[in-house]
Amino acid sequence: MAHTFYSDSHQRRLWRVFPDVFQYRGLLFDLVWKDLRVRYRNAMMGLLWAVLQPLLLTLVLTFVFTYIIPLRISETGDGRVLDRAPFFLCGLIPWQFFSASLGVATTSLLANRDLVKKVYFPRELIPIAAELNCLVNFVIGFALLLIVRVALGGALGAALLWTPFIFLIQFVLQVGLGLLLSCAEVHFRDTHYIVEIALVFAFYMTPVIYHLDAVSSRLGSTSFLFRLYLANPVAGLVAAYREAIFYNQSPDLGLLLWPALTAAVLLVFGGAVFRRHAPVLADYI
Amino acid sequence: MAIIDVDNVSKEYRLRGGPPALFRWGGARTLLGRRRHKTIKALEGITFAVGAGESLGIIGANGSGKSTLLKILAGVTTPTSGHVRLYGRVASLLELGAGFHPLLTGRENIYLNARILGMTHAEVDAAFDAIVAFSGIAEFIDDPINIYSSGMYLRIGFAVAAYADPEVFLVDEVFSIGDEAFQRKCRQRIGELKEQGKTIVFVSHDLGIVNALCDRVILLREGRMMAGESPQATIQRYLRQVEQTRALHAVCQGENEVVLAQGCLSLFHGEREVSGAAGLYVTIESSGRTYSSANDAWEVAERAPEAGAFRGRMASLPVVHDWRFRLDGDRLTWHIAIECERETTIEAFDANLMLRGGYVRWTYGRLAGPFPEILPGDLSWTVVVAPDAACREAGALPDEDSTLPPVLIELESETPYLRLQWSNTDYVNGGRLLQAGARLPEDARTFRPGRHELMTVSIRFDMTAGAVLERVRARRDEFTLERGAFSARFESGGVALAYGGAELTSPLRVYASILIGGLWNDSTGLQWHRIARSGGRVEASGESRRFPFRQHWELELADDGLRLAIWLETLEPIDIEEYHVSVGLRPVYVCWETDRESGVFPDIDPHQEDWRHVNRDYAPGARITATCKEFPSVALEVAADPTRVGVAPFRMTALNTDCHLNSRVLQALCTPGIGKLHFDKGRHSLFVGKVVVRQQSEQRQTD
Repeated sequence: MAHTFYSDSHQRRLWRVFPDVFQYRGLLFDLVWKDLRVRYRNAMMGLLWAVLQPLLLTLVLTFVFTYIIPLRISETGDGRVLDRAPFFLCGLIPWQFFSASLGVATTSLLANRDLVKKVYFPRELIPIAAELNCLVNFVIGFALLLIVRVALGGALGAALLWTPFIFLIQFVLQVGLGLLLSCAEVHFRDTHYIVEIALVFAFYMTPVIYHLDAVSSRLGSTSFLFRLYLANPVAGLVAAYREAIFYNQSPDLGLLLWPALTAAVLLVFGGAVFRRHAPVLADYI
Repeated sequence: MAIIDVDNVSKEYRLRGGPPALFRWGGARTLLGRRRHKTIKALEGITFAVGAGESLGIIGANGSGKSTLLKILAGVTTPTSGHVRLYGRVASLLELGAGFHPLLTGRENIYLNARILGMTHAEVDAAFDAIVAFSGIAEFIDDPINIYSSGMYLRIGFAVAAYADPEVFLVDEVFSIGDEAFQRKCRQRIGELKEQGKTIVFVSHDLGIVNALCDRVILLREGRMMAGESPQATIQRYLRQVEQTRALHAVCQGENEVVLAQGCLSLFHGEREVSGAAGLYVTIESSGRTYSSANDAWEVAERAPEAGAFRGRMASLPVVHDWRFRLDGDRLTWHIAIECERETTIEAFDANLMLRGGYVRWTYGRLAGPFPEILPGDLSWTVVVAPDAACREAGALPDEDSTLPPVLIELESETPYLRLQWSNTDYVNGGRLLQAGARLPEDARTFRPGRHELMTVSIRFDMTAGAVLERVRARRDEFTLERGAFSARFESGGVALAYGGAELTSPLRVYASILIGGLWNDSTGLQWHRIARSGGRVEASGESRRFPFRQHWELELADDGLRLAIWLETLEPIDIEEYHVSVGLRPVYVCWETDRESGVFPDIDPHQEDWRHVNRDYAPGARITATCKEFPSVALEVAADPTRVGVAPFRMTALNTDCHLNSRVLQALCTPGIGKLHFDKGRHSLFVGKVVVRQQSEQRQTD
């Protein structure tokens, strides 16, 4: 017979995360599915927004950075106007995924307080479900990006095979951060304000609307400041995406090493902190 | 096997008083320095086990840790130390509607909620129809639930939980949700789950439900387990604990204890609570609404070791309850009065005495019988003994091996409208209810400012079951006149005749009936009071509820039967169309004989719907006799009555009743024709005569 055991020390064991989450995977997908349906329930165009939103955003950005503040997208020249949209999208889609999922995950426990206060299930499900929910948008946006690139006369190459690997690093990073921040938010309600501001800053500190080379050429590729710039793991990830998709080149492994390391550490650290607090979260929400 | 195993569980809460405010003086220091936490021990060293199919109740005052314990059992929070082991799926009703999203439809929410409770999709599919039917929201099932009323919302929540088919069911005070009908449904469903052998853990303030549903009850007090025994024992302990804090007054004498708390009395006898869940309380009905004394603000007016006086101000009426009670050994006297501050209209008042379901037999004046069993399907209160105006005494007897004491309740009241009534409550309350109350007619509803006595209730614990039943028998025989083998028993407007222990009369008995305005007024339908007996005489007065008249009966034993005289006292002038005095006999009587005629009663056709005259000659007469082989002959004789001058003479008639009553009737009928029988205000003789009962042999001798 199924058997549940509640004791404080037992519940706080870190290794329990994986079997617990696996056991409740059905509920996890139900939660994601619920959020999806809720999100577009009352919008006239429904799920179409998942496609329209990144598309329109790209159009706006292309317009702004071509005509209002003309930014150079590469060091070698302005390039074709038709390349601008895919160039921005390569940065924008992963960045959107990152920023949206952190924002949602941070407040996810509080947003689902009804559930947390009333039912037992592994608490990790809530921030993870929030991440997965944004993943759906990412997948759609990513497909859009590929379509746009091809439609505008660009080419996709074998370097595309790098993207699952880059994505994996990004997702692990996000889950780790999400667990950490959602838990912090329960105890310090200031967290989501900080996250909000930090994300705005990080947007400009990430090569989303410019090329990484623009930074390295200005700061010097070996300077301390440039290393500091790259300490932002998303910077390396976004640059790698762009290399793989837009330039069809294998991304510089040095660019991915730091994000991969950060992601692994954050996952373990975030998971541990979350587990430590999860059993009694309901008391503080 | 223990399905829930709670081992030495403690829970501490740290009080932090919110996050440190950095911009308050000294705020930064609190962040950097050691923060001092206040800890609260919500639970301490709780250990118990619940077996499969057992239902466990958790009771305790507010803040005693009930909800925390339930949360730990549900896994919502973990114990600070100790552990809990649960086998099987747990569903808790504290998570009613957990995760419901207002934008999703009822159907989607049911699936999601069920999933959260741990059901698989296939299981939800199977139970879906039952869930929808139970919640009663079938027509809105595909609408988003933000259009639902809060009641509908909770109903779906309960329905899903109730059909989640868990092994362990955690129930937290759900009976406050929804309307009366839905609450009953919930109770029934929980009763069903219990019958199905589910394990139920139940937190409630409603001791009646706890008592009815739980096999064992745990009492928590300030986070510690005070008791974990049978429901009665634990509930009693709890009541004693509550009594110390909440009761207004408690009186104890010998084995008996009376506690007044919140406008209701609880009775204890030798460690057992005699009163049921709701105790003894008073309701007052005004403008169509019923107000219970349990909702009023009470204070003690007088306090003595064996008595007390209490005043309870009603919230909604300008009325103050004024109760006094006194415990004299084994007799509790409860004096109920009200004080009206302004002129008040009261339509009805009742003293409700709820006794425990352990009482299995009732007595009621001259009657006694068993209480019907209360089953889980019983959702409403059912009347066991219909009210009888004359009855002022009722009793309740426990099972033979019960430790409950037999109870005898006597009532005194100046109100002529007081009635007693025994009822069974619903399954959850599981009690026997004696209501002593009056519905007041329109002209008696106005209560002037000042004090009004309602009634005095005496409750006796000192009698054995035999003594209580003996009183019933004695009361039955109180108005029985006997000479030799012949006996005549007067009971509410009818006289039953017997010879040598065998009944001669049918249930119709000897009675009189008056036709006024097309309506027959049987003497058995009058309200009989002031019945007196002296030697071989019984005198009784009955009052009509319909027309302004009273009847006075005088019965006297004669050598060969019973002399009967009936007077009519009219309070206003009345026109009577006709009247008769009748003797209803068992169908064994086959022959009849009047002054002029004789014949045989025809058989009563099993489909016969009306009464049929048997004789042909309706000329006035003075005597009619019925005979049979087995029993003595019975004759109705009209005596010459000088005071009845001017009134038409009687016609002696033999009748067969309809097949339901299945009786032979000897009748002295006075039918002067409409308008001829006018009675002015005053006392008038209706009938003087005799019912003669003769053994066949005597009859032969005299003939």
